[in-house]
Amino acid sequence: MKAKLISPFWVMVRKEMADHMRSWRYNLMLLLIGLTCLGSLYTAMMSIREAVPKDQTLNAFLFLKLFTVSDGTLPPFITFIGFLGPLLGISLGFDAVNSERNKGTLSRVMAQPIHRDFLIGAKFVGALILISMMFLSLGFLVMGLGLLAIGIPPSAEEFLRMLLFLLLSIIYVGFWLSLAILFSIKFRQSATSALSSLSIWLFFSVFFTMLIQLIANATAPVNATNPNDILQHQQFIQVIMSLSPSQLFSEATTTLLTPTVRSLGPLTLEQVYGAIPSPLPLGQSMLLIWPQVTGMIAATLVCFGISYAYFMRQEIRSR
Amino acid sequence: MSIIRSKSIHFLITFLLLGLFIMPTTKAAEGVILFSPYTDISVTPGESIHYSIDVINNSGSVQDLELAVEGLSNQWKHELTAGGWKIQRIAVKPDDSQTVSLDVDVPLEVEKGTYNFHLIAPGKTSLPFTVHITEEGTFKTEFTSEQPNMEGPSTGAFNFETTLRNRTVENQLYSLTADAPKGWDIQFKVDSKRVTSVNVEANSTKDVDVEIVPPENVKAGSYKIPLKAATNSTSAQTELEVVITGTYDLKLSTPSGLLSTDVTAGDERKLQVEVTNTGSANLRDIELKSEAPVNWEVTFEPKKIDAIEAGKSAEVTATIKADQKAIAGDYVVNMTAETAEASSDAGFRVAVKTSLLWGWVGILIILGVIGGMYYLFKKYGRR
Repeated sequence: MKAKLISPFWVMVRKEMADHMRSWRYNLMLLLIGLTCLGSLYTAMMSIREAVPKDQTLNAFLFLKLFTVSDGTLPPFITFIGFLGPLLGISLGFDAVNSERNKGTLSRVMAQPIHRDFLIGAKFVGALILISMMFLSLGFLVMGLGLLAIGIPPSAEEFLRMLLFLLLSIIYVGFWLSLAILFSIKFRQSATSALSSLSIWLFFSVFFTMLIQLIANATAPVNATNPNDILQHQQFIQVIMSLSPSQLFSEATTTLLTPTVRSLGPLTLEQVYGAIPSPLPLGQSMLLIWPQVTGMIAATLVCFGISYAYFMRQEIRSR
Repeated sequence: MSIIRSKSIHFLITFLLLGLFIMPTTKAAEGVILFSPYTDISVTPGESIHYSIDVINNSGSVQDLELAVEGLSNQWKHELTAGGWKIQRIAVKPDDSQTVSLDVDVPLEVEKGTYNFHLIAPGKTSLPFTVHITEEGTFKTEFTSEQPNMEGPSTGAFNFETTLRNRTVENQLYSLTADAPKGWDIQFKVDSKRVTSVNVEANSTKDVDVEIVPPENVKAGSYKIPLKAATNSTSAQTELEVVITGTYDLKLSTPSGLLSTDVTAGDERKLQVEVTNTGSANLRDIELKSEAPVNWEVTFEPKKIDAIEAGKSAEVTATIKADQKAIAGDYVVNMTAETAEASSDAGFRVAVKTSLLWGWVGILIILGVIGGMYYLFKKYGRR
């Protein structure tokens, strides 16, 4: 056994990746995300000149602006990733198990001398590796083109922030991937699972903010004289907001790529008094978004855990 | 009686003659009169007096007179001239007069007072002269200042006006020196030009401005600056006094000069603060105050410094306690050290770090999830 060069798990991962690479779905998504990425990079370069702060003493973090600045015609890079990333995850995961089951290949694979959890693991890991490759290459493409265009090399901190941003994006897409895999185990029809994943995605990216607005208006304190009440209300709204993974992602990435963001919650005047507008060091930015990062990692793992348990308990019959 | 009467008539004639000539003349003897209109004058030392004296012959014969000056000391140079020659004798025709010039040089070194001398024609007549010397004359240099004392802070320059008076009969080139303490800058100025020597003509004066710049870190007190103007033959000294009033200044900083620190929210940070007396006077009762964001606490140990000598510094431990709710990033904490006379403040940039507690909680949550998954793998895996 030890003499074996590649374990069957990695063989299955490779097979999964090869399947995805040849699929129309993945290539279309790659094209879509690649194009939007180039488009947003172009608008960022057009408007980065205005983004240079007048006060030269402040550390400008100019390079990070490539990801966040836009002139309004196209959204910046982080918005695109936040919007299209879930779609990528869903498209890679929505038919992971049920299509195999419908085609009858699942029982055939299970007939091989492999552990049963290799299958579900390989589905998740294979797709995640593809997503990572795609995001890392896109991220470095933006860095390279940005370096060519503005000619200012990123500082070590800027580089680390960009890497962490890419890592966060991978985790975020990983969440949607594991959610889609969960649905693909749950629903026998791949169309049903795709629609359920998409509806959740749409709910969180479009309707959730409206719903929050509604709740915020309904629960707003009647006489807004006590600042404590307003503060509590704000915090309550924030707690509901953080139920949305897209909200977590946008908060985390904004803080990472905009070092001047010092707080995500409502601020009292006492907290602001005496504060100097200055960028946070990377460690402090990470601490600030640590709850968001924790939530995203935990949600991804929990989703995967549920799908794993669910898959292991399902019986697999040959047709 | 008749003798007395005749004498009285004689006096009367004399008085009449006196009245005729207005000014006193010689005793009319042998018919020769010496006359000068100005016999009592006031002069200053070094001046030359020119007398014009008429020798009048009232007699019927030619008078041959010997003329001499009597009662003048050797320092007083005098000369009798007439018709362009220096003369000792003079002859006057009957009922005629001659004019004789007497030049007297008043010496420079002469005491104030009244001096009398006579022009005499021995055996015949004499003419008294009186010279009042109005001031003391010296053969020396005077170096004086009308206002030899000035007071001011150590930051400014002191401008004194002095007068150099050459009381000698020769032009003198004085070299000007000052025996100032170390670090003092003394400059002599004549006609607003900086000079080290000055030329003063005989018996005249020159105004010399002296600019004194004290050293920057001079202590409060009075300082004497002796000045000297000297040539190889004469010299004069004067002394100027500069009274430095103390300046009060202090500086608040840290021993390293670094004005930034970091603190974890809700925690405290101890900071060494240095108060330096940069003035020239001692400071007393230095209080330390702070201006910090809301709900922050800054305490000093000690709260008050009793005294700091000029140029010395004292260290204080400041404890900055950040608000529990302070957000991550930089805040400004202003500290002020103040006395009644001076104050100094320093803005400290305090970087607030958030507590790592919630970071560990997050890691624990993730570890819990991973643990749950491990349980799942154990339970269902490898079937």
